[in-house]
Amino acid sequence: MAEKIKKILVANRGVPAVRIMQTCRDRKIPTVAVYSTPDRLSLHVMVADSAVHIGDAPPVESYLNMDKIINAALEQGANVIHPGWGFLAENSQFAQMVMDAGLLWVGPSPRVIRLMGDKIEAKKMAIRANVPTIPGISDVKDVDQVREWMKNDEVSFPIMIKASAGGGGKGMVKVERDEDLANAISQARSEAKKAFGDEKLLAEKYIERGRHIEVQVVADEHGNVIHLFERECTLQRRNQKIIEEAPSPSVNEDLQREICFTAVRLMREIGYTTAGTVEFIFDSSTKRFYFLEVNTRLQVEHGVTELITGLDVVGIMLDVVQGRPFDFFQSDIHPNRWALEVRINAEDPRTFSPSFGTITRLQIPHGPGIRVASGVYEGADIPPYYDSLFMLLLTAGRDRDTAIRAMDRTLSRNFRVEGVKTLAPLLLSIIRHEAFQRGDFSTRFIENHMDELVSMFKEKDSQDEVLKIAKYVAEISALGPQEWM
Amino acid sequence: METHSKIFRPGMSPREIVERARGLDGVAITCTGMRDAGQSDFKNRHRIHDLRTLAPFYEEMNLFSSECHGGARWHVGIMNRKESPFEEIEILRQEMPSVLLQTLIRETNLWGYRPYPKNVIEYVVANVDIDVWRCFSFLNDIRNMRAVAEVVMKRGRLFQPAISFTQADWTTDEYYLSVVHDIVDLCGGTDEIILCIKDMAGVGSPERIRTLIDSIKQSYPELVVQYHRHATDGLAMPALLAAAQAGANILDAEEDSLTRFYGQAPLLGLHAYLEESGIKVLLNREAAEKAVQKVREWIGHYEWAESPFKGFDHNVTRHRMPGGAFPSSFEQAEKGGFLHLMPAILKVMSLYNRIVKYFDVTPGSQITWVTCSGIVNKYDKEKGLSGVEHVIKLLGKFVDEKGQDFSAMEPEEQEELLTLFRNAPGDFKNLLLGGYGKLPMGWPDEWVYQSAFGAEWEERLAERKELSPLDTLEPDDLEKIRSDLGVTIGRPPTEEEFILYLMHPKDALTMFEFREKYGETPFVLPTDVWREGLKNCKDKVEFDLWGKPYCIELVSIGSEHEGLIHVVMKVNNKTRVYTVETPRAKKAEIRMAQGPDEIGAPINGNVWRIGNSDRGTLKSGDIVHKGEEIANLEAMKMENAIVAPFDAQVVEIAVRLNDSVQEGQLLFVLKRLE
Repeated sequence: MAEKIKKILVANRGVPAVRIMQTCRDRKIPTVAVYSTPDRLSLHVMVADSAVHIGDAPPVESYLNMDKIINAALEQGANVIHPGWGFLAENSQFAQMVMDAGLLWVGPSPRVIRLMGDKIEAKKMAIRANVPTIPGISDVKDVDQVREWMKNDEVSFPIMIKASAGGGGKGMVKVERDEDLANAISQARSEAKKAFGDEKLLAEKYIERGRHIEVQVVADEHGNVIHLFERECTLQRRNQKIIEEAPSPSVNEDLQREICFTAVRLMREIGYTTAGTVEFIFDSSTKRFYFLEVNTRLQVEHGVTELITGLDVVGIMLDVVQGRPFDFFQSDIHPNRWALEVRINAEDPRTFSPSFGTITRLQIPHGPGIRVASGVYEGADIPPYYDSLFMLLLTAGRDRDTAIRAMDRTLSRNFRVEGVKTLAPLLLSIIRHEAFQRGDFSTRFIENHMDELVSMFKEKDSQDEVLKIAKYVAEISALGPQEWM
Repeated sequence: METHSKIFRPGMSPREIVERARGLDGVAITCTGMRDAGQSDFKNRHRIHDLRTLAPFYEEMNLFSSECHGGARWHVGIMNRKESPFEEIEILRQEMPSVLLQTLIRETNLWGYRPYPKNVIEYVVANVDIDVWRCFSFLNDIRNMRAVAEVVMKRGRLFQPAISFTQADWTTDEYYLSVVHDIVDLCGGTDEIILCIKDMAGVGSPERIRTLIDSIKQSYPELVVQYHRHATDGLAMPALLAAAQAGANILDAEEDSLTRFYGQAPLLGLHAYLEESGIKVLLNREAAEKAVQKVREWIGHYEWAESPFKGFDHNVTRHRMPGGAFPSSFEQAEKGGFLHLMPAILKVMSLYNRIVKYFDVTPGSQITWVTCSGIVNKYDKEKGLSGVEHVIKLLGKFVDEKGQDFSAMEPEEQEELLTLFRNAPGDFKNLLLGGYGKLPMGWPDEWVYQSAFGAEWEERLAERKELSPLDTLEPDDLEKIRSDLGVTIGRPPTEEEFILYLMHPKDALTMFEFREKYGETPFVLPTDVWREGLKNCKDKVEFDLWGKPYCIELVSIGSEHEGLIHVVMKVNNKTRVYTVETPRAKKAEIRMAQGPDEIGAPINGNVWRIGNSDRGTLKSGDIVHKGEEIANLEAMKMENAIVAPFDAQVVEIAVRLNDSVQEGQLLFVLKRLE
């Protein structure tokens, strides 16, 4: 397969769509955007060379509408589809349809996606590759079955119920007590069905104070499987990552080597191609890591790997899809930076309840050591139908402290969003927290420290205060002296 | 340094202040420019933004003190200016660090209008950073001052007990000497207090004041005396001179440029008048002249706040409305549409105050005002102006002709008097029952009780208390109030917020809401912009906020469309559009969940299921069980189950399937099953 990319359709919106189009622009590859009705004027549409309307707001009518997307590619003369992350990125049926339509698919083969998308199969594969896995059962039917497993394997609460087809925190429910088991199973099942169209579930022991470490792997079609080192993604809220960094502060050099080569071994065993990630849960008390899953796609946090290695992961994916062999070896990869990423979600930083609306003012940060991946512009809308992520802020420096300092500057002085609430105050509190700075945290860090983190929110900011004054001046100018005066 | 040459300054012990006042050659001045001047002639609307411009001059003026706090300024600050008295003190301490700050406090009523329990009084007084505490009782019931006196003296601040003065046949020297005696007793002598004679209505004739101070000084030669006097009767200057000649050590005055009719005497004029009469005045006249001049820069912004009733009023000696109540009473009359009845109301007041005897100053003046304006309005509504004339004649006959001999009135006149106070305010009735303390000349006659309470008057009379409210009011649970406030505002309150809330709960909450929304606005905007906004394109307002400069410039104000006006402004050169709702704006009514039986949305989202997968959709009347899922919201692809908090029947489902709801919006009304 040595077909060249003529034109690429990006089957996504927001941050991932814009990110992929940037590399395409570097390579002078024309891009096609797809958009739903409310996204008509969104940033990814403006960045693309052309754009096709594919349906109304609900994702099933637009960004999950496979036929429409493939037709759009064919109509526009695109011969490649990049799915980004989320939506159809890990949908093997879509990958197959793309290939059947005679188009190139930027991602692993439908077989690999299917295999890794099924958590039960993935776990079997890991066991076969001699990769350690968490105790658990697959194909959860009912409460009794879970109870029996727990009894037989001497597993105690908490446990996790997960969608077999899952990812991204959807269809994942942590169960603390036996009484909650029934509700948890039905909630996970319902979410699984809605998010993935597959209600199969699995149950696993929950690793307390676990850390989430993943390895970025790239593989070409010529048998080269290379890791780009690990990322630490432990800081999550509601099972969704909000801060990522590379390298991981949790592991020493030996562990780092072990975890990275374990990931390569697994990916080789699978026959993986293009970019993918092997996720592990790391038990910091026993220093053991367990296989969690393989993400068969470009990931949100790929940017930190790019910052420490100097490589372009999206560019590598484009090379692989054109059948090119890597022009580098494992021994060429020498990370020499520390990078940090925070996810700017449109959410209330205290409650995580979504905050949609118009971004009335956006000051994009700049300065030494900063990289910004934005899916919006000033004046853009954040519609309620999709993910709340609208921007990634990344910083890098020679060591972790430098990267954290640059992030502190970015969040506290440089970055400003009006119109919607964002996680920024929480993110700033986290990176200023002494435990985070020491590298001492677990996936429960945020829930365990929430009150403390909220109390660290900066009470007042003169830019916000002056807007309150301006609002008053506007109202009194329009309405005249008020009764209460 | 200049600061240390000041005769009076913060940090001095009360004893030292008193000694220095005794040693004065002549008189010192308390300047009321920052409180009573504004209260008496400008409805307390003078903003700290303007008043603080006087502080650098006060710092140089060699004042005894600056009265800048208390009275109604506290409450009006919260209600109208949206400034907290704590913030004002902080600013003034910074701008005039060597000036004694003085407050006016209403014994058990503090800065409110009804008695507070002892523990509230102690807590509040202990937490307000004021140097001179002028404390008065509208009943001259000195027992009521005990809690304030104890805390102030224990803190090492100067306690300034005031006797409420009026000129009437019953307010004799003997009477006042007995009040002073009680005060000296309460305060353990005359070495750590200054006595104030509070002539709050401005009614003391020069000779009356001379003899009163003379007799006090003869009985207590060491007692430092301060004379506080309003100018209402037009005789302030000679009365102040008489006071000084009789031995008063400190006099109250205000900037000449602030004087109108109901405040204090003009400072520079008083200075000249006293000096010409051979009495030295401790005053840096040059600095005082600058302060007087400074006032002229901003006083024009307050014309709207001045009383509609202009000019001195010598009849105040009869109706006795205090200076501090003048503008607000006339404002109420104007707003209520009964300004034309004011002469009649003042007349009724002058008769009323001979039937129920106390001093017309807060909260007594409010009781008098509400009671008398209520009576006049009632007669006006029922019988027109002739009715009003009739009630004045009836009261005149009773008081003047019959010497308040109830039995001497005709039976139908008696009957009418017996309903006169039936609609009087609750505070009037509370006063009659001893809720505020003892009345200075004893309780009113029984017919007043019959008139106020009707058939049950005897039962109510039996409840009348002879003790001070300090001894009868149950303490408040301060920690509970504090935590309730925290729940209401959704965060722990600051100490200052808690105290504001203790004084005026409802108005404090409104102010917190205002400040949440508009931040530092009250402190940075000049008064014309504060009141009127910006008017024309390119009008701008420049100010500093937290050490950095800002500018707001008006670009345009759109015309009203469906209740909305768009205002375009440049805020630090960046153009911004503000959508302002006029009172005509259509409000999309969103019901929010309130109370435990109303279930609200925990997040913003979409209602994608009402009920649950097992039993399907719910409807009104269904029974749900604790823990059962009753709806599910989807937001950004995450599901959020709403579960019944208790066994209940569904009374109402307030949303429909696929509705977008916002956080807190009402979803269900449930009825708890026992």
